[in-house]
Amino acid sequence: MWGIFLESVVIFKNYMGFHENGYLAGIYLFVLLYLWLTEKEKHKRAVFVYAPTLLLLMFFCPLFRKIFVRLLEDSETYYRLLWLLQMSIVSAYGLIKLCGRHRRIGLAVICVAIIACGNYVYDSEHITKAENAYHLPQEAIDIVDLIEPEEGRITALVPADLIYFVRQYSTNIELPYGREMLIARWDYHHAMYEAMEEADIIETETFAELARQYPCAYVILKEDRKTDKPLTECGYALYEQVGDYLIYKDLETDDAI
Amino acid sequence: MVQLIGLLLWLVIIPVGIGLIPVHFLAADKRKPGIVLLAGYFGMWAVFEVVTIPAVIFVKYNNFKVASGCFMALAILCAAAGIWLACRDRKEWKLTSPVLLVRELSWAERVEWLLFFILLFFQLYKAAAYTSFDGDDAYYVVESLIAQQADVMYKILPYTGRPTDLDVRHVLAVFPMWVAFVAAKSDIHATIVSHLIMPMVLIPLTYLVYYEVGKLLFDGNAQKKQRENLPVFMIVMAMFQMFGNVSIYTNETFFLTRTWQGKAVAGSLVIPALFWMFLSIYDGRKKKGKDIGLWILFVCINMTAGVCSSIAVFLACILMAVTAFCLAFTQRDYKVIIKMAAVCIPNVIYMMIYVVMGYSYLLK
Repeated sequence: MWGIFLESVVIFKNYMGFHENGYLAGIYLFVLLYLWLTEKEKHKRAVFVYAPTLLLLMFFCPLFRKIFVRLLEDSETYYRLLWLLQMSIVSAYGLIKLCGRHRRIGLAVICVAIIACGNYVYDSEHITKAENAYHLPQEAIDIVDLIEPEEGRITALVPADLIYFVRQYSTNIELPYGREMLIARWDYHHAMYEAMEEADIIETETFAELARQYPCAYVILKEDRKTDKPLTECGYALYEQVGDYLIYKDLETDDAI
Repeated sequence: MVQLIGLLLWLVIIPVGIGLIPVHFLAADKRKPGIVLLAGYFGMWAVFEVVTIPAVIFVKYNNFKVASGCFMALAILCAAAGIWLACRDRKEWKLTSPVLLVRELSWAERVEWLLFFILLFFQLYKAAAYTSFDGDDAYYVVESLIAQQADVMYKILPYTGRPTDLDVRHVLAVFPMWVAFVAAKSDIHATIVSHLIMPMVLIPLTYLVYYEVGKLLFDGNAQKKQRENLPVFMIVMAMFQMFGNVSIYTNETFFLTRTWQGKAVAGSLVIPALFWMFLSIYDGRKKKGKDIGLWILFVCINMTAGVCSSIAVFLACILMAVTAFCLAFTQRDYKVIIKMAAVCIPNVIYMMIYVVMGYSYLLK
């Protein structure tokens, strides 16, 4: 039980971003304490003081965590219980109440505190300028436009960095393996993935044999991906180049399924 | 043009029409355009859930086509009923012109509201002009696209395109199917609807919930001094959303980086909407007639939790149970426990379906 409790503490710390110097949780806990001492209206006390405190106690309760995980068969989403605290609503309410009549100066202080303790979401490395209305990499769209059949579907083998995007643009392109292979903790094994991504140098003969089992009408490789023998010697033709990607067409595979 | 009409119909007109039904059962002073829109969205999602889940489970071929046909008919019928109800008792409505509302504000309040709208439009601009990469899109967005392009729900594995069995963790949370429905009816690619259109709808809708919460917190007794805090509250909420990215797990991070995913809607829209309801039940004013509309809305919000994510249903039940207990304790009103248990009935049914589907292999 102690171990489960400690795990919950780690989840709480990770959620609050203590390891990255995010201290918004400090504001929240301070506000919660302040509301414990000052909130007089009964229904607000119930919603903003008692309920969050009970939820926090439940979050750290090992027995509750055991039941939660057993019922949902998923321990990775336990942190979502903290969404029920709605820290921003409670914090905003408490801070404004604390400022009382000093509304304008209070607003400035609150904003500075949030900026100092928080982390600007648009600084995230995952947020970049959109290249098109789909919000997908343009290269992925250009590649799919080139290989997509007019009718039916085809299977294509694409590098890991395109896997997320190809089927967001067209479901007429099937893949031998998908995003599940890219998540290390899921620990899946796939011969085609290993041949494509994990080998230092692609063994072309074995690789082509595997790709034809699906059958992959096109193979897309990064320009700098090393192969022990050019694909063109194994029944493939260089079809097109899009940016850093080379598109090979399998001459032995029919186009659409 | 056709696309714009489709979006206008399914993202504004139909939700407003449906929203007029629960609002009809609210006291006249609570009938406000913002509440109608929110009630409309929650009502529409509830109807969508009722139609889509049986289609996912029982319809073998082209289940998306069947579900969207039934939902379209039912939604139009509900919207028409709502409009008819509103026309019938239009004299009860006490709408104030927005110009008058602005005139009532002090200059300081106007500046604060302007600041808030600058922050809101900044977030909308970022959502439109910037892309936020999230691996889960390979599942949810592709599910929407499969439904739009192949007319099937949850029968094809989004990652690869191969046929698959129903995956109980995802099939009951039909939010991607609603996105697909909007995409199909407006004839816009589902990925564009997810990444571009949905944030334009869901971000303002979320702030509308915060506005309603703020109104109950600071405008409940309509004292001027209190009301002045409302724009401050909205600014602080907007700041929390933009700087709440202390980890990848917070609901604030989900709100602005995965706005279009059901779980983000659950964390940022549905759970705050439950707070709105908790505060609405005891809003400090003398009870003015009917409040059954609040409980209808409560049911719809709970059902929306199921549309968003299976875990959200469970979370909503926990929040409802804990808050009902606390409210009963502080208000000495033990009936609230029974009422809140009653509005959780759809969640209980949902969880039963989840358990039966999840463990049905044991019966074989």
